[in-house]
Amino acid sequence: MNELRDVYITGVGAHLPGSPVPSAAIEDHIGRIGGRDSALGRRALRWNGVETRHYALDAEGRPTTSNAAMCADAVRAALDQAALSPQDLTFLATATTQGDYLVPGHGSNVHGELGGGPLEVASFQSVCGSALMAAKSAWLSVRAGEHDVAAAAASEFSSRWFRPAFYEGSALVDAKGRLRPEADYLRFTLSDGAGAVVMEPSPCPSGLSLKVRFIDLISLADRFDPCMWAGAAPQSRADPLSTWAFAGPVAAHAQGAVALLQDFDLLKRVIRAWVGVYLQKVEAGRIEPAKIDHLLCHYSARSLRAEIEGLLESTAGMIDRDRWFSNLSSVGNVGSASIWVMLEAFLRSGRLSPGQQVLCVVPESGRALVGFMLLEAVE
Amino acid sequence: MTGVPDVLRQLTIVFTEFEGRLEQTPLIRKLTRGRFDLADYQAFLVGLRQQVADGALWMSRAASNIDERHLELRSALMRHAVTEHRDFRLLEGDYVTSGGDLAVIQGAEKNLGSEALSAWMFHEASRPNPFGLLGAMWIIEGLGSIKAAEWGRLVQRRLGLPDEALRFLLYHGENDLEHIKEFEAMLAMVLPDAAVAAKIVKTARVTARLYALQIEEITGD
Repeated sequence: MNELRDVYITGVGAHLPGSPVPSAAIEDHIGRIGGRDSALGRRALRWNGVETRHYALDAEGRPTTSNAAMCADAVRAALDQAALSPQDLTFLATATTQGDYLVPGHGSNVHGELGGGPLEVASFQSVCGSALMAAKSAWLSVRAGEHDVAAAAASEFSSRWFRPAFYEGSALVDAKGRLRPEADYLRFTLSDGAGAVVMEPSPCPSGLSLKVRFIDLISLADRFDPCMWAGAAPQSRADPLSTWAFAGPVAAHAQGAVALLQDFDLLKRVIRAWVGVYLQKVEAGRIEPAKIDHLLCHYSARSLRAEIEGLLESTAGMIDRDRWFSNLSSVGNVGSASIWVMLEAFLRSGRLSPGQQVLCVVPESGRALVGFMLLEAVE
Repeated sequence: MTGVPDVLRQLTIVFTEFEGRLEQTPLIRKLTRGRFDLADYQAFLVGLRQQVADGALWMSRAASNIDERHLELRSALMRHAVTEHRDFRLLEGDYVTSGGDLAVIQGAEKNLGSEALSAWMFHEASRPNPFGLLGAMWIIEGLGSIKAAEWGRLVQRRLGLPDEALRFLLYHGENDLEHIKEFEAMLAMVLPDAAVAAKIVKTARVTARLYALQIEEITGD
């Protein structure tokens, strides 16, 4: 049997549609429920710390591109940075929360937009963590010698789901026309974009490459019900037989089962569980906080509650704040694409030096999952 | 790996695993899935009461077994015991306010988990310098400062009970950060010490497992 190969990220690409949209203009793009401004929006923005974001919907709410097309653009940008073209790619692993189609998988549609030649695809569908599922698939494929040029790509077109048609006429809107906070919060939290990385068995001939040291994904769905979900009404979310397809699309919409929803109470418990998993990694020596030169966490430092920060400090698990890099406040929370969009901006920032370690942390509240990826800069 | 931050890290891991186990118990599943009724709440109070009543007792016993070289820790445990030794009265009050009969909650037997938990606590507290019980305190205090108020708010939302019927659950949950600081100070009285560190973490694990067993054994049906 062949030895496992080292694998390097040789190109990183991002695609953010349109111009940055300031907070005041959000509802021009995603629309107003019942024609009225959201009461919750400003509070959600304070909490998530996002100042500007990008939408693949114009200021009249019309689409300017598709989820798959954004993803293909990010793959092209990543290949271009690696001095490769779509024809060189033999494996494409994609991630998204919701593709353009319900069927077939996002990977096929991204390949359709990308062109190139026949290649292997894998479609990963979850929430933010799906980015690392795709990355792990690409990493292992190159590592095992199955492929020499693989891409892991992630994209989101969340704003489609935030248009009034998803809520109006459903149980999520009360008699006074107010949208349930579980639904409205996400409208002001998630936005659109795509990111991708190219992986190869040798570093770039010039410039910095990122050796992938490990990718670990841990699901805690054995203990938690869905925390951020679509496809079930809030009250029946734990019952798989009450999900949308059994009722049919029309009845499901009326029940409020066709919208993205977030359970805030559960989120607090899930955050503690993420911290527990992280500390287990520290305890096991898999993550050594003092040796992490840069932390890219798809979670705003601002929204870490003081208790959690205090706890991380008390347990020698905190990575100093001056090592955190984030562009969340300017590009928004792009779900699965966030970690690649962040990595792309980080590499452009010029902060990285050869030999340094970069820890990427991708928590997914979906059903309590968290992923870690450790990278090392090589020249 | 035996200093205060190391032990706190291991204890935090034990606590988050414990929370995961609690989430999967039938009673808490009912609570988080909106199928929790008044009988469940009353069974919950009855199930907790015996163990809560014991809490200050094992803590006092532990204090009485702490030697003169650790007087600060002894004082801390005694203060703790005094603060908490009437808490079970709150529980009884909540039970009565929610429509229960005082004689029932006072006369109820410990469930299987409570028996095991209580026996374990008194056994540990009876040993000389029972520092391992700091691990047990971490679990039980953590329940008070983190889980109780969370559960209390969920119960209130499901059942629409007044605050007066939820005092035990709601009155906890304040000053999380202060609790941790106090606890760190207590750990610093006995650490660093490899054997003590291991004992504290082990005691936390056993306590968490038995506590979860106690909750598993509570049913309102």
